[in-house]
Amino acid sequence: MKPPVEAPAPGPGEALIAPGQTMESVTRTISDIPLRHPYPRFWWTGFLVAFALVLLLLTSIAWLFTRGVGIWGINMPIAWGFAIVNFVWWIGIGHAGTFISAILLLLHQTWRTSINRFTEAMTLFAVACAGLFPILHLGRPQFFYWLVPYPDSMGLWPQFRSPLEWDVFAVSTYATVSLVFWYVGLLPDLATMRDRAATRFKARLYGLFSLGWRGDVRHWVHYQKLYILLAGLAAPLVISVHTIVGLDFAIAILPGWHSTIFPPYFVAGAIFSGFSMVLTLIIPLRAVYKLQGLITARHLDLMAKVMMATGWIVIYGYAEEFFNAWRSGNVYERFVDVNRAVGPYAGYFWVLMACNVIAPQFLWSRCLRHNVGVLFVVALLVNVGMWIERFVIVVTSLHRDFLPSSWGMYHATFWDYSTLAGTVGLFVALLFLFLRFLPAISMTEMRRFVATKEGGP
Amino acid sequence: MSPSPQPLASKVVPEFWRSLDERAMTPEFQARLATEFPFVATLGPSELDRRNFVKLMGASIALAGLTGCVRRSIDKIVPYVVAPEISVPGRPDYYATAMPVEGFARGIVVEAHLGRPTKIEGNADHPESLGATDAITQAAILSLYDPDRSRGPRRLAQPSDWAAFDTEWAQHRAALLATQGQGLALLTEPTSSPSIRRELQRILELFPKARWYQHTPLAGYEVGGSQPDYDFNSADVIFTIGSDCLHRHPAALRYGRAFAGRRRVVNGQVRMNRFYALESTPNVTGTLADFRLPASPARMRAVLDALAQAIAHNALPPAAGLSPAESQFVTTLAADLRKHAPAVVCVAGPEEEADIQRWALALNAHFGASGKTIRFLAPQRSDTDKASAGDLAALGDTMHRGEVTHLFMLGSNPAYTAPADLDFVSQLGKVPFTVHHGGHVDETAAFCTWHLAESHWLETWSDLRAYDGTATILQPLIEPLYGTRSSLEILRRLTAPSGDQAYAIVRETWQHASGGSDFELHWNRWLNAGVVDGSATPAVAGPSAGGDFPVLTHSAAETLPVLILQPDSTIGDGRWANNGWLQELPKPLTLLVWDNAALVSPAFAARQGIVNGDVLALSIGPHTVDAAALIMPGQADDCVTLSLGYGRNAAGSVGNGHGFNAYRLRTVNALWRQSGLRVEKTGRRYALVTTQQQFAMEGRDLVRVVAPDALSVPPPAASPTLYPPWKAGGYAWGMSIDLSTCLGCNACIVACQAENNIPVVGKDQVARGRQMHWIRVDTYFSGDPTSPSVVHQPVPCMQCENAPCELVCPVGATVHSSEGLNDMVYNRCVGTRYCSNNCPYKVRRFNFFDYRSPPGALSHLQENPDVTVRERGVMEKCTYCVQRINTARIAAEKEDRPIRDGEIKTACQQACPAEAIVFGNLADSTSRVSLRKREPTNYLLLEDLNTRPRTTYLAKVRQPTGGTIS
Repeated sequence: MKPPVEAPAPGPGEALIAPGQTMESVTRTISDIPLRHPYPRFWWTGFLVAFALVLLLLTSIAWLFTRGVGIWGINMPIAWGFAIVNFVWWIGIGHAGTFISAILLLLHQTWRTSINRFTEAMTLFAVACAGLFPILHLGRPQFFYWLVPYPDSMGLWPQFRSPLEWDVFAVSTYATVSLVFWYVGLLPDLATMRDRAATRFKARLYGLFSLGWRGDVRHWVHYQKLYILLAGLAAPLVISVHTIVGLDFAIAILPGWHSTIFPPYFVAGAIFSGFSMVLTLIIPLRAVYKLQGLITARHLDLMAKVMMATGWIVIYGYAEEFFNAWRSGNVYERFVDVNRAVGPYAGYFWVLMACNVIAPQFLWSRCLRHNVGVLFVVALLVNVGMWIERFVIVVTSLHRDFLPSSWGMYHATFWDYSTLAGTVGLFVALLFLFLRFLPAISMTEMRRFVATKEGGP
Repeated sequence: MSPSPQPLASKVVPEFWRSLDERAMTPEFQARLATEFPFVATLGPSELDRRNFVKLMGASIALAGLTGCVRRSIDKIVPYVVAPEISVPGRPDYYATAMPVEGFARGIVVEAHLGRPTKIEGNADHPESLGATDAITQAAILSLYDPDRSRGPRRLAQPSDWAAFDTEWAQHRAALLATQGQGLALLTEPTSSPSIRRELQRILELFPKARWYQHTPLAGYEVGGSQPDYDFNSADVIFTIGSDCLHRHPAALRYGRAFAGRRRVVNGQVRMNRFYALESTPNVTGTLADFRLPASPARMRAVLDALAQAIAHNALPPAAGLSPAESQFVTTLAADLRKHAPAVVCVAGPEEEADIQRWALALNAHFGASGKTIRFLAPQRSDTDKASAGDLAALGDTMHRGEVTHLFMLGSNPAYTAPADLDFVSQLGKVPFTVHHGGHVDETAAFCTWHLAESHWLETWSDLRAYDGTATILQPLIEPLYGTRSSLEILRRLTAPSGDQAYAIVRETWQHASGGSDFELHWNRWLNAGVVDGSATPAVAGPSAGGDFPVLTHSAAETLPVLILQPDSTIGDGRWANNGWLQELPKPLTLLVWDNAALVSPAFAARQGIVNGDVLALSIGPHTVDAAALIMPGQADDCVTLSLGYGRNAAGSVGNGHGFNAYRLRTVNALWRQSGLRVEKTGRRYALVTTQQQFAMEGRDLVRVVAPDALSVPPPAASPTLYPPWKAGGYAWGMSIDLSTCLGCNACIVACQAENNIPVVGKDQVARGRQMHWIRVDTYFSGDPTSPSVVHQPVPCMQCENAPCELVCPVGATVHSSEGLNDMVYNRCVGTRYCSNNCPYKVRRFNFFDYRSPPGALSHLQENPDVTVRERGVMEKCTYCVQRINTARIAAEKEDRPIRDGEIKTACQQACPAEAIVFGNLADSTSRVSLRKREPTNYLLLEDLNTRPRTTYLAKVRQPTGGTIS
């Protein structure tokens, strides 16, 4: 079907909404995607490819549980491999959503309006993928609940000095709050969907989940308060989760991990990778579903700028690591950095430098920032770079530590790759289901945006 | 069971049938039916209507429920109400016996749990053990439970029984008796066993025309009709020529102990010897030397000739044609020998040629060492027994002439170990009646009329003499697991068809020897102590050395490169090939597992463009063997070394298909050294797996080396910490490892494996870095790769007081005990592996797969019941043998006393021939470990991390090159 408003190529990114959008057009544009299911071929192709990968994930997990973690390439000096790399990567991606929704909301950054719903969903799905890995990577995954402080009949308690224990709380809290925040934000829109649903069944279903929303003034009053409160709760979590993931490494005495820069550097890296993932996903979706009127070039431009800023914090982190290794005079610290740059995994290191340090610099140019293709490629490269960054941190630190007699190499196996591909599939499949059944952009906020003309230049 | 009242067959064809047999109601079917379902068989079809069927089924199910899962033995059993006097469940029994090592005895004490032997320790009362063991001795227990052991006699490769063999042999025997044994030949390994030699004597008396041959693929230890025996304790200068006498020798444990005594720092003092080694390929002994010179066999001879002249003329001959390194070696050594005579000793390896052996004797004679650092013993092994008709080559000749009609091969595997040019297998085809007696259906068994299964030496009675002559009665720890016979029993059958038990035969021998009076008293004492007292042989006059050094340089020039064969350092001549512990034990210096490799020097590899893992075609004459190359620092240039024992195809499920068969390059006349080797690259690659990939210390201060006149390292200084100091009081367990005495023999690794139920993971898993050894021996090379200096460092868990592993475990599965142990709680471990990542010593091991033996596997019988067998997904590591600590604690508490110093020995400590490892209570300032830690050479590995390890090291003491003894 034709989009209601032909979105003219917006001027060089001044408008946050295309001219001519009305409350009605906004609602129709957004709600038509789940209700009328436009572009079914795109949706089915994408979903089925992703679903095939989900099946691969299930196979990998079944084989993992049958044989043990030995099916992966991990070994004795390198006891953590893809599982932890993937965990950190996914949890990093899961940072953008809450950052955009909560922190930008509190900072009154109105441009977040048209992308917050989508990025929150992305956050949830990324956290779901991330959450798999700490369990899968356990030698005895059946006992994962021993990390939870529950009233054990033998009086056993987790060991609270371990950062892995902090992870349990950090990740589970983050996942819970993100889910609630996202769901609360959805309530008025679910009611809209209920009202616009063509069939009784759909109306019933949307109605069930909209928790009896009638648009009453009292509803709105409570809703606004709750939403701001949740935003206030979620905002520190954005910082805490990746701080603690950073501490997973920083607490260790391993050269290459043992570094006080890790928490802030990990948070910046997470937002960096989160924004690059948002761009990677939004650019094609916006084109397919003709949403250029709602997600404008200005949005892309702003997100690119956030990427630049966080990217530079990450670059500072890299530089600081090298500087401190040199300044400390510690033979092990120095060796790790030299080994990263010229050792057997030097290839990974230089690809990382190209992706995370060089590629974002193209975005200094306003012209390139507004070139959707360039932006997409840069975002994709940053995604790859951030994955490799975690690989470099985890593997190159472990593979040559203190005693040269114990040095080893890590070779990923088929099952390492299949699990990674499987979680990508899971992530994409969940996103497709989200697009199919829920409004990907907040209709409530967009309507208010149109009404208040906040989107004006 | 009564038969069916009505025959069914002819009358009713059942409508539904379970098989064609049932449909036809054949008698076979009815018989089977009667045994399987008695009630069905007794009922006619009309009687078994629905109601009855339901009734019967109901009753059956109810009764089945009553009996539950019990499957009671039908034989009469006796409850264990009153325990047998000598056996207490849960408490192990120890028996002294001996293990055959190249035909000599090594005194051992075997631990048995409720009748199953589980662990071998050295016998402290035995002069060739002194309480220690080597790696092979530690691993020998696993071979008892080898699932591939031969379980009964086989005739023409088909399972048969002993009665059939006895009958068949009786016929042959009658015929042979008529001809006085014409055509009967026996092939044994050289042995020191008095009983076996007595039986062989009996056979040769009964069959005067029979011939007894001996074969071992390994070298003998006799030189000029006697066994040289060295005293490394009194030698100030040691010079070895291609010898691995501290590692691979029947007396290696005694030698190692004596050598270590001259390298150990005690109260800040060391009575340091000076050790020179000349060898072609690095071995454990040579790399302990202060001055080591790699030389090809031809260069070795040139160096020795120059040395002889330097000794004779007090100066280096001007035109010796030596390289600077060789000249320096000769000059320094000659000066040292002169200075320290007669406290000098020269040892030539048994694989060296006879003239080099004579040269070594000449040197000892020249400096008057005889009777001081070297003595000579009467031969203990039967190598040169007058009754013996010769070696395998002699047997081959006889067989070739068709003069052998009956051949008995006991304990040897000539089809695999015979030199290639002997073509033993086709000779074997000419013998009509061949009998192989061995523990496995091996390469030889496949070509024999009969294969007879041999009892393991832990299952039977025998006797053996040690290198110094001390005799031990071997007593069985367990009844034979299978229908097997010992070699004594087989030999007795040749003379007495009714046969005798080995027990009776051994007692007969010793009854003769002891003269009969108080025999039972003596016998019990011998068995109890594991040695026959007073049986050591006195020294004899040595071979006359002739005074002068033989000239060694051949007129004919050596054709390079040279092939050097040597026994494998873990699987020997191949007999241990099916022992998983030994296959997975890293070979000293290369740290290679599961394979042998063609060792080449770095320079040779560079010239030929060889990298590790390249498959080389090695050819001598018509014989070619493909072998993967491994670059060995310190290997003499132009020498290619290949160890024996690999490339087997009938060793068993563990040993088959690993490595390359060096016997295929052996010739009768050149067993160990062959010049004119052709080396070609095949272009193929082979995966060689080592447990260590990096042999350089990267400038890190890991193994400290000090000179004997500067015996100190910076003392450990505790760095500040936020944690409270460790609470004193009670026991504080600690360990000290002396790098100066560590030989690098790896006995500790296998001892730990045997004690702690450590699994074998296989070559593929080791290639992935998943070996499970709790203690490893790190090897570092430094200096010039053509002649590097080598250090070994055993690394068990450091039991850090500030343990990095404990902090990061989210479930508290690794925790600190009040006595300072870093305990691993397997039950609690979920397998995050963070502890291993955070361990700077990387001593933790993880069960990536289920490495346990499958249920019902024989190897479960070996397992130590005091140690948990770990499941998949669980981390494990060295526990300081906490089970031994607790055993000692229980004993001490029962007697209301503290645990005495030395009461607890960890498995690695107990095995160590050099006493390099000492364990004990640090809270006791007089304990051996506390004293050792007060030595000036004491240091902490990675001290600056402030982990405060309880395991500490004593620096290695090594003579600085070119220095003089203080």
